[in-house]
Amino acid sequence: MKKFVVLIVTVFIVWSCTDNGPSGPSPDDFDREAILVNWADNIIIPAFTHFSETTAQLHTSAQNFSAEHTQQNLDVLRDSWKSAYLAYQHVSMFEMGEAMQLRYRDNLNIYPTDTSEIEDNIAEGNYNLELPSLNNSQGFPALDYLLYGLGENDSEIMANYTSNSGAENYRTYLTDLTQRIDDLTTQVLESWTSGYRDEFVSNSGNGSNSSLDMMVNDYIYYYEKHLRAGKIGIPAGVFSGTPLSSHVEAYYSQGFSKALFNQALTASINFFNGTHFEAEVDGQSLDDYLDYLNTMKDGADLTSLINNQFQEARTEAENLNADFAAQVENDNSQMLSTYDELQRNVVYMKVDMLQALNINVDYVDADGD
Amino acid sequence: MRLTKILLLPLLTLALISCDNGNDDNTEIDAPATYEFTRNGESTVSFTGQTTRIQMASELISAMMDFDNSTEELLLEMYRNETASGGDANPFENPALNEATKNIKGKVAASTYYFSSNTQLSAEIKNQFEAWISAQIDEVFPNENTLAESGQPGQIADGSSTRYVNAKGFEYNQLVGKSLIGALMADQMLNNYLSTTVLDAGTNREDNNNGTLAEGSNYTNMEHKWDEAYGYLFGTATDLANPMPTLGQDDDFLNKYLGRVDGDDDFAGIAQETFDAFKLGRAAIEAGAYDVRDEQAQIIRENISIVIAVRAVYYLESGKNGLEESSPDYGAVFHDLSEAYGFLYSLQFTRVPGSDSPYLSTEEINGMLAQLEAGNGLWDIEPSVLGEMSETIAAQFEFTIEQAAN
Repeated sequence: MKKFVVLIVTVFIVWSCTDNGPSGPSPDDFDREAILVNWADNIIIPAFTHFSETTAQLHTSAQNFSAEHTQQNLDVLRDSWKSAYLAYQHVSMFEMGEAMQLRYRDNLNIYPTDTSEIEDNIAEGNYNLELPSLNNSQGFPALDYLLYGLGENDSEIMANYTSNSGAENYRTYLTDLTQRIDDLTTQVLESWTSGYRDEFVSNSGNGSNSSLDMMVNDYIYYYEKHLRAGKIGIPAGVFSGTPLSSHVEAYYSQGFSKALFNQALTASINFFNGTHFEAEVDGQSLDDYLDYLNTMKDGADLTSLINNQFQEARTEAENLNADFAAQVENDNSQMLSTYDELQRNVVYMKVDMLQALNINVDYVDADGD
Repeated sequence: MRLTKILLLPLLTLALISCDNGNDDNTEIDAPATYEFTRNGESTVSFTGQTTRIQMASELISAMMDFDNSTEELLLEMYRNETASGGDANPFENPALNEATKNIKGKVAASTYYFSSNTQLSAEIKNQFEAWISAQIDEVFPNENTLAESGQPGQIADGSSTRYVNAKGFEYNQLVGKSLIGALMADQMLNNYLSTTVLDAGTNREDNNNGTLAEGSNYTNMEHKWDEAYGYLFGTATDLANPMPTLGQDDDFLNKYLGRVDGDDDFAGIAQETFDAFKLGRAAIEAGAYDVRDEQAQIIRENISIVIAVRAVYYLESGKNGLEESSPDYGAVFHDLSEAYGFLYSLQFTRVPGSDSPYLSTEEINGMLAQLEAGNGLWDIEPSVLGEMSETIAAQFEFTIEQAAN
């Protein structure tokens, strides 16, 4: 009996060792550095440069509104907030280096925002925005509440900054938030332009600590958790079973969530294809790497499958209401079908692409306790 | 995959051996599909005291994080279910718990087998929990809105969660919660209720043989003792008689972590095996087959000990891997290692089947805990030290570090 089992084990071991090795080009031979250079110089640094311009403008607009609190200045501030929030969608995925150290994304874009904590901070005054527990009372979602959510209409909102007692505290909190977004962004951009870019580009080997492996992981993590789940899946109730319309991005501005989603999807597509920031120029990226390896899935070209799937998601999302909260409440099935299209690319990228590129996933779903 | 195959070998051998034993036994015992036992049409199963204590422990652990409402007095009352002067206390939200005469503290490090003649150690352990509870209020609560750093209690980010740690990076709520798994649940189960000294105490065997019931009850004393062991694992299950469908979701203590370990392919089946042993052991008591009963107790002892050890290694390895990152997420590492601390602490209450002792002694455990706490504690800990601890633990069991860590 024992011998028989040993035999089975032996056969099994031998069988599992005779894995059919892949034929054709090896990932080792590809010029990975060309991709890193394109990402850093034509996507990441230009996107952060542009974003930092919008955060500076956002802070200036907030200061102007604080000094002269008129409806007109509120409108300008709202426009600045929208421009910056759209620009942010192009940098959110780059949570590495200084951004990772700062926990940049957690400081800028945790939603739903904690409105009672915001009100406590404003009322009490002595808040420390560096505390992790205050991540959900700052950043773009907190500004969304402060600019759109403080009243039923503009005159009610304006009253919080003008006539109400504590109006000065509201104005201070507003500019403290815009200041912090701008400061953190400056820190991240300066890190890229004063050394980190070279470190990133020269770390061009393969292995779990190489720039390409880490960036690809960050990219897929962003796509899976923040684009697919955060913007669509969570409000649609994919994970909770119950739709949560108040969990959409930019909930209080009512009508901006779709624009943010589309921008983020564009940024994801551009990154995959190496498209230069705000220029229709095609550079080296994951698509070229997959093409070089002749990566096929079920007889089809993987690059095309992924790009086609991006377009499927884009097309499906076109039907959605500009305000995702309204979409969730009125016809959630459209949200779910958009989610399904996004999910298909999680499989193509996280399974098929990573396998082809010989990259291991470096994150797991949290333990939850 | 290959490992699973290799594991089959000892398992098969074991199966053959246990078949031999079965042949020697004249009694055929049929365990029911669920944990339901009756006499004269009425259930004979009862473990309300265990359910109560699990619920009390759950409230205590949440209250340790309630910065706005909790006081040292309240938390200690939850631990003792009485006031500092020994009067009746009502510290719980659930009114049934306030009515109960049970408490957590009395059953911490209180098993007959390990502690009836070791009351000094029992008192030390009971007081250790009070020290952690008090320190949460004294050290962490005043620093709720301070950023933690080495030597400074306060808050630290773990991904998008916020953790609250002491000056050495430990979360007291994790120390209390995970240590209770050993000091309360496992100790009572393995070293008290499943011990022959408890099951066969006094005239229990004779009473059980004759069907003599405990006063005012529908069960024999022996049946009840066995049920009480069951209650520390399944006492808050959605369906108390059929707890497997919600395994892992019914508490934050043993049930949760039996579920976690069972969910690891390397240990799949351990939960069903444990549940089956409880059922068969209980059926054996009804049949008066005490050898079969005691065999089941050994299975349970081994499996519950494995659960605690696997989670200790799991969290040690998570912490180690986190520290080895190029820029460690200290909040995540501290959270893992705070859980590891509690599971390490719990290991001293495990029980090697067929023996008188735990897999690791209190002295060995204290040595490892001292390493974690040395200097500035988790702010200073070296990954290699964590790896050595994993090896020390795994060496006492038949699993590998890799099996536990994934």
